[in-house]
Amino acid sequence: MKLTGWQIFWIVATVEVVMAIWLRISPAVEIAKQDAWMSMLLSCVLGGAITYLVVKVGMQHPGQSLTQFSQELLGSWLGKIITIPYFTAWFILSGDVLRSFADFIHLVLLDQTPVWVLMVMILGAAIYLTSTSGITGIGRFCEIAGPVTIITLLVSLLLNISNAKWRSLLPVMGDASLKEIISASLAPSSFLGESFMLLVLLSFLSNSKHILKKTMASVWMTGIMLIITTIMVLMVFGTAVAQELRFPYFMLVRSINILNFIQNLDILVIFIWIFGVFAKISLYLFMTSYEMGQWFRIKSWKRMMWFSAPVIFIIALSIPNEATIMLLQKFWETIAIPVCAIAIPLCLWIVTSAKRKLVKTDQ
Amino acid sequence: MKKTMIIICLLVFSAVTSSCWNLKEPNQLAIVIGGGLDLSQDGQLEVSSQIAVPAALGGENNGPSKKRSFVVVNATGKNFMDAGQNLQMQLSRTLFYAHRQTILVGQRIAEQGVAGQGFLKYLDMIVRNPKSEMRSVIWIVKGGTAKDILATEPTFDALISTTLYSVQMALGMKPYYYREFLCESLPKGGAVLLPAISTNSSKKKFIYSGAAILDKEHELHLIGFLNPEESYYANWIKGRQKTLTVTTSESQKEGNISLRVKSPKRHIRVEKDAQGMHVHIQLHGFGNIVENNTSLDPSEAQDLGAIQKKLSQEAERDVVKLIQKAQKQYKVDILGLGELVHQKYPHEWKSLQKNWNDTFSKMTITAEVHLRYHDPGQTNASM
Repeated sequence: MKLTGWQIFWIVATVEVVMAIWLRISPAVEIAKQDAWMSMLLSCVLGGAITYLVVKVGMQHPGQSLTQFSQELLGSWLGKIITIPYFTAWFILSGDVLRSFADFIHLVLLDQTPVWVLMVMILGAAIYLTSTSGITGIGRFCEIAGPVTIITLLVSLLLNISNAKWRSLLPVMGDASLKEIISASLAPSSFLGESFMLLVLLSFLSNSKHILKKTMASVWMTGIMLIITTIMVLMVFGTAVAQELRFPYFMLVRSINILNFIQNLDILVIFIWIFGVFAKISLYLFMTSYEMGQWFRIKSWKRMMWFSAPVIFIIALSIPNEATIMLLQKFWETIAIPVCAIAIPLCLWIVTSAKRKLVKTDQ
Repeated sequence: MKKTMIIICLLVFSAVTSSCWNLKEPNQLAIVIGGGLDLSQDGQLEVSSQIAVPAALGGENNGPSKKRSFVVVNATGKNFMDAGQNLQMQLSRTLFYAHRQTILVGQRIAEQGVAGQGFLKYLDMIVRNPKSEMRSVIWIVKGGTAKDILATEPTFDALISTTLYSVQMALGMKPYYYREFLCESLPKGGAVLLPAISTNSSKKKFIYSGAAILDKEHELHLIGFLNPEESYYANWIKGRQKTLTVTTSESQKEGNISLRVKSPKRHIRVEKDAQGMHVHIQLHGFGNIVENNTSLDPSEAQDLGAIQKKLSQEAERDVVKLIQKAQKQYKVDILGLGELVHQKYPHEWKSLQKNWNDTFSKMTITAEVHLRYHDPGQTNASM
């Protein structure tokens, strides 16, 4: 199984952009008011830093995924232990995403259909893609779905220009303090920092040329889409309304009204939400199964899907309410990202560099 | 492996084919085109819905036997959705709100609110319900009830609810959508101006009747109206007017003159000094002379100057009157100046916003209007 650099670029972008735009804008507006776009800018920097760190670590061990090189580096036991937080984070994230997806579709489209049916359908499709073609298939899917998603986002924002009032962005730095802007940027950076999946993805890379540039560009493109959408949401709804909306981007699309003729486009953009979630669930299904295969040293990682898929489904099913989804997002921001995307990669980086220095001085 | 895949595919397929949970044919729906809110005689909330009758819409007009293209049903309830459920009792099809084009609010409910609570409390339901429509235009019914307006017969179209936004367009204003109403209502300070409509004396036709003032500091209770002409100037200051016709007053013995202003511009300056805030409103307008009953000849430089001066002065007088009315009579900021102060002086605004209408009514506001003509029309002097 191999991935090209561009496939990795599109995997990161497709998996991150939709979720960030759907779920992270109104919480940021609630804290940073009309300066939320600055928080997003800041989160680009933070997300970029995490990506830089992760790619550096990943490229120290070309061809090896997280479970492989951590065991080689720290020994079998310790190497296995430090991957446990990753499994926890990925399972919880994918369960959370699956549930948010089904809840949203249930809310706006299929309110009579049971939520579990929606979850089974998307999970079934993800199982199909992952089991037939593994990461190659996911990479190819993202290569198509990614550009379509980005173009759809841009077009939907353009169609809203007639509704936008740039004055809603004023006063700049008037209502929110610098502290608030920084604190509002943490949640979106945690979504961009999801790029620590590269610790696994980079092991499939066929050609490592420019990979740092490509991955950074991918995270930044996602971040820029997030900034543009935030600005647009602020200009169309103003802060007071934007902070109350659960899905501001979706409402933005619903507000499109050109000549009283081009309207009701909301149903047309739901597919990007499905694309993004589908790519994400397939990817995490693959990564958890593959990494667990490595963990137990089982040759056929596909067998592990019999474990991963039910776990994701059960996590999604057992989420009782919206408050729990919020709690899980808080967990992601305050525990998963600091541990999995910063602390452990940093340790691995230091250990690898130290070991290599020791080897050199020995010679 | 292949077998399992086939089984999975079959399972997914069976789910798709059997999932008719959400199937709703159009002939099971009662499509709500317009909604109206009133206060019933005994002080309860009364919701009226104008429902399209698709069989009577479209198709050929088969002479006098033609059915009415809509029905208006109404019901009371504790809140909107409760009333909606009571509405449903009168219908054989499910109410469907996604095509609602217009929301009308009767004068009594706008003034008194429901059980003493203003409109502010009830903004939420239109956004919360995902089937509901934020692109509806919203109007206040002056001196009447929403159901009266819903029952009027429009001249050109089959349904009045689909025509109200074009009334605003025809008058040169931007249509006022519910989304904008929501965005204006939630920030603190000042008042919201909603377009107002009323029935004519025969109760069969509607007529645009200016703007309604909803005080944001009192839960959006209706406190008064602007007449149509005042509403044009107020919209100009708020940037919502695209064209308007300015006519000099008739009392002048030398006749009057009309200028059709296109793309009116505004420039509002907020300054702060030791005495407090000052606001200076500058309005600029270019236009064509569309009627001239005076002896003045626009092709002569001297007369041209006189015409422009006279038009500007009269418009300025009207604008100053409007400001006086807002400051002295209603004592609320209908011009959206609070938002401008907020944008320029965010720190001062934090203390000002609680009592903004008070500050507004004591503030010095000056205005100047500059009207210039672009084209004299097809004649020089009056014929």
